[in-house]
Amino acid sequence: MAELKVLFKDIDVPGIQTLEVYEQHGGYSALRKALGMTRQQVIDEVKASGLRGRGGAGFPAWIKWNGIPKDESQPHYVQCNADEGEPGTFKDRELMLRHPHQLIEGIIIAGYATLSKVGYIYIRGEYTEPARVMRRAIDEAYRAGYLGKNILGSGVDFDLYIHMGAGSYECGEESAMMSSIMGERGQPRLKFPHAPLPTIAGLWNCPTLINNVETLSCVPAIIRNGGAWYASMGTEKSTGTKIFSVSGHVNKPGNYEVEMGTPLMELLELAGGVKGKLKAVIPGGSSVPILPADKCDVNLDYESLQAAGTMLGSGGFMVLNDTVCIVKFMRRTAAFYAHESCGKCTPCREGTRWMVKIFDRILAGGGRMEDIDLLLDICDQIDGRSYCALGDAAAWPIRASIKHFRHEYEYFIKHGHSMVEAQAEHSVGGR
Amino acid sequence: MSEAIRLSEYPRAKRIDERQPPELRFSERAVQELERIKRHYPNKRAAMLPALWIAQREYGGHLPPEALMEVAYRLGTSYAVVEGVATFYTMYNKRPVGRVMLEVCTNLTCSICGGYEILRHLEEKLGIRAGETTPDGQFTLVEVECLNDCGNAPVMQVGNRYFGRLTPEKVDALLEELKNSEEHTVVQLADTIVQCHLSESERQDIERALAKAQAGSGGQDGQNG
Repeated sequence: MAELKVLFKDIDVPGIQTLEVYEQHGGYSALRKALGMTRQQVIDEVKASGLRGRGGAGFPAWIKWNGIPKDESQPHYVQCNADEGEPGTFKDRELMLRHPHQLIEGIIIAGYATLSKVGYIYIRGEYTEPARVMRRAIDEAYRAGYLGKNILGSGVDFDLYIHMGAGSYECGEESAMMSSIMGERGQPRLKFPHAPLPTIAGLWNCPTLINNVETLSCVPAIIRNGGAWYASMGTEKSTGTKIFSVSGHVNKPGNYEVEMGTPLMELLELAGGVKGKLKAVIPGGSSVPILPADKCDVNLDYESLQAAGTMLGSGGFMVLNDTVCIVKFMRRTAAFYAHESCGKCTPCREGTRWMVKIFDRILAGGGRMEDIDLLLDICDQIDGRSYCALGDAAAWPIRASIKHFRHEYEYFIKHGHSMVEAQAEHSVGGR
Repeated sequence: MSEAIRLSEYPRAKRIDERQPPELRFSERAVQELERIKRHYPNKRAAMLPALWIAQREYGGHLPPEALMEVAYRLGTSYAVVEGVATFYTMYNKRPVGRVMLEVCTNLTCSICGGYEILRHLEEKLGIRAGETTPDGQFTLVEVECLNDCGNAPVMQVGNRYFGRLTPEKVDALLEELKNSEEHTVVQLADTIVQCHLSESERQDIERALAKAQAGSGGQDGQNG
C-alpha cells in the first residue's frame, strides 16, 4: 500500500506556500463554498466526514463545532493548537512550514461555522521557522481579502492572530493553552463535567473552539469534496487519513500520510524499514503505551490500536530496535514528564519526580525487586488523579513498559546493569 | 572551566520596590509594538507573553527584575504576577546567558539517535557543562526537551533556527560559523518571535509612527508608555 495524500496532496508543488500557487491548486475555493452554505451545513459536512481530533484525544471534531452556542451574545473564539510538543511528533511543523494556506483556510471556515470573529494560532516559541511562514501567509491572506473585515464581500469578519509560546509542553493541553493565551502561567483548568467545556466557557469565559493544526488542515478538503468523500477513506469509525511522524531506528524517517487502518508494518516499510531488529514501537507520541515487536501486527486506527492496548495519540511514531534498553529509555521518558509537569496537581508533580528517583536508583545498580511494583503503584496513584492528561501520560508508558518488558527491569535490578549489552551509554543522563 | 558562569550560582536578584515607578528602558519601537499587540486581545494583561518577549530583546537576551517590573508597569499588573509567568516558561531567561544559545535536544528519539553524543561533544569542545556559559560570554549550552523535529534527529536549536541530522563534524563547522555571525543570537530569537505577532499593516504602522516621532522630537528615543 502506498501513501494516501489528502493533506499532503499538493505539498510537493513548488511555491505552494504562496497564495498565488495555492489558489491555482484550488486554494480558498472551499472558503468560497463554505461562505455560500449556512453555518449548520458546514458543521453537518464536518459531521458527515467523521473527522476526529488529530491532536491526540481523537474527539469527534463536529461535536466541538456544534457545541458552540448559535447566538452572538458573547464573542466566540477559534484557538488553533500549534504547540506541537509531544515527543516524536513533527507533523504540524511540516504542515505549517510547507502548506500554511491550507491551515489558514481551515481556520477561517471554522471561524465562520462557529460565529467567531477572532482566531488565535498558538505556536510554540521554538517553532520560529514555521511561525515566519505562517506570518507571511496570513499577511497575504489579509491582502487578498480572505481575512479581516467583510471577507470576500460576504459580510463575515474574521481576524487571525499569531500567539507565540515560550517553552512549555503543558501549554499543548487545551485549557493550559487558554491560560497561556490569556497571559497566565500555562496551567490546566478543571475539566468537564466538573466545569463547563471550552465550547461554552473557554478564552475569557467565552465560547471557544479548540482544534489541532492537522484537524483544521483537513477542513478545506472536506468542504471542497464533501464529508461523504472523506468518510469513504479509512475505517468506519476512524475516517480519512492520518499523518504519522516516523522517527527513530528507521531508514527513512519523516512524515507519512496514510489511510486510517493501514497495517503498522506497511508504515514501517514506507519509512524504509527498520534499522536492525525491531524491538518495539511507540505509535502515538511518548504519552501512549509502548507496543512490543510481537504485537505490531495491528492496523493504524483509533479502535485497532486501542484494542492492542495502546493509542493513536498524535501520530508520533517512534521505532526502537534491539540496541535500546527499555529501562534507560523509560527513565528518559519519566524525566521528561517530571520536567514538564506544571506543578498544579500533587500526584503528577510529586509522582513523576519519585519515578525518576526510583529509575535512577535502578540505573545506579541499587535497585530492589519491589521497585518494579513500587513504580506500578505510583502509576496508579497518578493516573486519573490530575486535572489534565499529563499525569495519565506519565503513567501509561511506564506501566506498559513493565507489562511488556518486566524481564528487562528484573535483569537490570538483579545484575546492576542493562540486559542490552550493545546499548551505548547515550540514553542515560538527562535531568 | 572554573571561570564558567554556572546558571544556578548566579547571585539572586535584588528586591524591587513596587511603590517606586520603575526606570523604563523600552525603546520607542518596543513601546509601539506592545501597543499594537495589546489590541489583539480583549484585555492588556493577555499581552503578557509577547510583552516578555519584547522585554527579553530590549534587555539584551534575558529578563532581569527591572525588565519584569517594566512589563508589570506597562501591563498594569504587579511584579509578582509577571514573575510568576516569566518563571513558568523555559524560554524566558531569568539569568544572563551567552550571546548564542545552543539548545541540544536529548529527548526520546534524539536520545537513541545520538543526542547525548552531540551534547557531550559540545561540552568538550566548549569546555563547559550543559547549563553553563563560556567565559567569553559567546555560548550557553543547554539540554532541552523535545524540539519536535525528530525526523532529523539529533536536533539542536540555535536562536531562530533548527539544525538537524547533527554529527560532531557538522557541529564543529557550525560553531566556527556562529563565532563570526550576527545570526541566530538570543536577542535575534526574541525579535523574530515579536515580529511574528505583528501583521504587515501593523509593522508599516509602526514604521510610520517611528518616522513621525523621529521628525517631531529630533531623533530622541521616547520613554512614554
